[in-house]
Amino acid sequence: MKKLALALALVLCLTACAVAFADQVTVKFFHRWPNEPKLSYLNGLIAEFEAANPDIKIETDQVLNDSYKEKIRVLVSTDDIPDVFMSWSGSFATNLVKSGRVQTWDDILAADPEFKDSIIESQWPPFQIDGKQYGVPWSMDGKAFFYNKDLFTELGLEVPTTLNGLYELCEALKAAGYEEPISAGFSAPWAVSHYLGTICQRVVDPETLAKDYAGEGDFTDPGYIEALNIFKKLGEYMTKDPNSVDHEFARNAFIFGESPMVYLQLGECKYLRDDIEFDYGFFNFPAVEDGKGDPGQLTGAPEGMMISNVASPEVQEAAIKFVKFVISQHGGYEMTKQTGELSCVKGALDETNLDAKQLEAVDLILKSTEPALWQDNVTDAVIADAFMAGGQLLLTGDKTAEDVMKDVQTAAASIK
Amino acid sequence: MQSRRAGMNVMTPYIYVLPCVLLLGVFVYIPLVANFYYSAYSFSALSPTKEFVGLQNYRTLFTDPVIATAIVNNIWYCLISVAIQVLLALVIASLLEDKLFAKISTVLRTTYFLPVLISMTVVALLFSFVYHPKIGLINAALKFFGMKNPPAWTGDPKTAIFSAIIMSQWHSTGYTTMLFIVAIQGISEDLYEAAEIDGANRLQRFWHITVPQVREMMFVTMVTTVTGAFLVFNDVYILTQGGPGNASTTLAVYMYRNAFNLDKMGYASTIAVIMLIICMALAIIQNTAFRSGKGD
Amino acid sequence: MSQAAITKSEAEKTLKIRNKLPEDRMTPGMAVALFFLVIYFLLIAYPLFWLISNSLKTYKEIYKNIWALPANPQWSNYVNAWNRGISRYFLNSVLVTVSTIALTIFAAALGSYALARFRFRGNQLIFMMCMGGMMLSPQVTLIPLYQIIRAMRIHDTYLAMIIPYTAYRIPMMVMLIRSSFLTIPKEMEESASLDGCSDFRIFWQIFLPMSKPILLTCCILIAYYAWNEFLFAIIFINSEKFKTIPTGLMNLRDALQTDWGTLLAGMTISALPLIILFFCMQKHFIRGMTAGAVKG
Repeated sequence: MKKLALALALVLCLTACAVAFADQVTVKFFHRWPNEPKLSYLNGLIAEFEAANPDIKIETDQVLNDSYKEKIRVLVSTDDIPDVFMSWSGSFATNLVKSGRVQTWDDILAADPEFKDSIIESQWPPFQIDGKQYGVPWSMDGKAFFYNKDLFTELGLEVPTTLNGLYELCEALKAAGYEEPISAGFSAPWAVSHYLGTICQRVVDPETLAKDYAGEGDFTDPGYIEALNIFKKLGEYMTKDPNSVDHEFARNAFIFGESPMVYLQLGECKYLRDDIEFDYGFFNFPAVEDGKGDPGQLTGAPEGMMISNVASPEVQEAAIKFVKFVISQHGGYEMTKQTGELSCVKGALDETNLDAKQLEAVDLILKSTEPALWQDNVTDAVIADAFMAGGQLLLTGDKTAEDVMKDVQTAAASIK
Repeated sequence: MQSRRAGMNVMTPYIYVLPCVLLLGVFVYIPLVANFYYSAYSFSALSPTKEFVGLQNYRTLFTDPVIATAIVNNIWYCLISVAIQVLLALVIASLLEDKLFAKISTVLRTTYFLPVLISMTVVALLFSFVYHPKIGLINAALKFFGMKNPPAWTGDPKTAIFSAIIMSQWHSTGYTTMLFIVAIQGISEDLYEAAEIDGANRLQRFWHITVPQVREMMFVTMVTTVTGAFLVFNDVYILTQGGPGNASTTLAVYMYRNAFNLDKMGYASTIAVIMLIICMALAIIQNTAFRSGKGD
Repeated sequence: MSQAAITKSEAEKTLKIRNKLPEDRMTPGMAVALFFLVIYFLLIAYPLFWLISNSLKTYKEIYKNIWALPANPQWSNYVNAWNRGISRYFLNSVLVTVSTIALTIFAAALGSYALARFRFRGNQLIFMMCMGGMMLSPQVTLIPLYQIIRAMRIHDTYLAMIIPYTAYRIPMMVMLIRSSFLTIPKEMEESASLDGCSDFRIFWQIFLPMSKPILLTCCILIAYYAWNEFLFAIIFINSEKFKTIPTGLMNLRDALQTDWGTLLAGMTISALPLIILFFCMQKHFIRGMTAGAVKG
């Protein structure tokens, strides 16, 4: 009994100590980078910011992806929204904005055109919802086929520019003894959506696609069936049983030379640095013959920062100051240098904080006509989920392209 | 059960149950009621408004093919878990308590219990490697024995749920075994001695002494195993995320995905209500069948 | 309980001990049982060994030689894991776990005593309420629970973990402790009552000591839960100074790349206190407590 009382007393005491006192402006910053080296980067940057602005204190909380999605929902639904937080672009941002608690940046940007111009133009639109700017892009990314350059040279193979070219390339690699020319791991369904998003973008008429993704269409375009069949056909060249392989394992199969190609995010360049023993390159997903979409687009989307509109004006002012500090040439430069995430601030990237491959990657992003958002971000989660679940079962042969589209159509109808 | 003793204060038992009732009432039953309330609305956790839809969520539920898949998966989970974590665990526990194995029983029961102490994250990680189609242990063994095309386990819609079920058994059987060992050790030694002298063999002693004597513990393990099987989340979510497609989804996984991925909080609450009703119904049936607390 | 056992004469017992019964020797059936017990042992022991073995490997080695022994043990994985994911959170975890155990056992044992030993209006209802508490999925309670915790102004404090943990462990523990209380012979309670012991003294001096095995088992089970709990800890806690080990282990992961060796090392360190606790309590699972007490 005594021990129990002691324990309880201890608990109460420690709780009392937890009440913090502050005579400065405190900005609550919620992010999803609890892991190294990203955490150290942010903490370092915050310390710099606080030193330069002694009247502002940044209070952070950080949890990883899935937990981030849980927690931000709980916080927003109970009016406990953080003052500054990160957001993916697309449907995640749209849903957050629907809460009515996210501040628009239009006036802030109008007052500070210099800040607006400091960020690569193509990265702003993904955070525009109903014509208003709700988030500030922070980092950018793109998805490309990575290939084993040494092996391609050895076998005399060329980078394909068309889908048929890609098929032929895979056949040639198979003939050369590579049973699984494309390494793939779909145990996490988002990896499926990266493929399907790109293929749909290449095949389906852009207007129809935009309408369908926005929830106004009915996904009856025959292009979708064609897109799914392309994915199924590519599946024949991929890792066997890809649904039980995870993305990281698939990437490692490429790194360790077992598969000559893999579809990766350009931000993943940093993971290739240590162990890879051959020269590699990357190319955008090739054009699909007779496809109606622009083959110059690169699938990928920025991540950004948002601020709340329920905070007091002083806190909001401090929050804006903080965002501008993080997304600055200095902040962006350090981010890329320390974490390998590609900053979308102009002039933040050069050969001093990027290796040769990352420079190429940035070049590929900037050369692309525009970013095509991730499929699981661009459309409602219910629709994206039907695509992802269907894509997995398409590869196992449990569903046909027609079955999958029927599920997608049902999903689309359910949210109208 | 004890009838009221002379001079006992009528309020005494209520004072004893008060802490439990208070904690459960505030932290379990208020959310539970809120959950019933939410199930009549259609909303996202992020939206400022809720739309009242009455029983619409329940109607959707009965026509949703994923719910049917999930329930079938939960039933498999339940059947296999009861067979192994209740029945087999009782047999294992009584074997470990057999004099014949006295020398090794401590080592065995300790080892059997160790997985229980390891978090599901690690267990799922371990099994993702055990089931791996390329480097996995199981398929290496199957190939060794001449199987040409071993299953893809977590990647095949037909085997995915069973991959998760087997993993759960690995993780949790030691837990119920330990509970049964504790219960068996509470049985008076004299009962066994008397039976032995009467010439009862091992099987008879198991059947006529152990089983009736651990009845209360069997009730507890049955209820917790069945409830656990219908609420199972972590095991499946970490190992397969309910995939491929929705093949290995369970009610809890589907509920979670509706709440936090698909932004259908109202529907998620509806699924939680159905889970609660299923578990409660099964618990009442078990409570009646075991006549728990009613004595022999 | 059968009265026959208690009235067996001492003579018969000594006779039994002298003449070793044939049942105490190995039979073919028991040989098969032994074989399966050993297989089960290996099925548990090997993967556990694998976990430790891989916690000593480099990232590349895990991919290349996942089932082999580490070529060059990377003890630095343990140092990294300790520094990056555990050291800061260790005391918080201990504090939360110990408090949760104390509070849960206190509330659940008192409640179980009333439920198992008193006949009062609402007994069955309260028992059903406890069982029902196991049947609500924690994921779906997050939003209402967070609102309650905020309203009580305990969010982002230790209490935001301890109290919900206690509330969500009570149902299971009440079931276990009650089942153990139900098997305590009535004679003991009656004689104590005749000696003029109060209800609380009977609880404190007879029920608690006699249920030591199940209470210790409960301690381990609560410890496992509180030590590894993730969902509530992440949502209800914001400040670094209150976070527990499972949130710390998150620092070692990423969506796209995980440093497996360090993560496994972290998870091994994190499981260690529980395993030590279990070993310390093991010796109290000895046979013969009740028997000894009844025989006097």
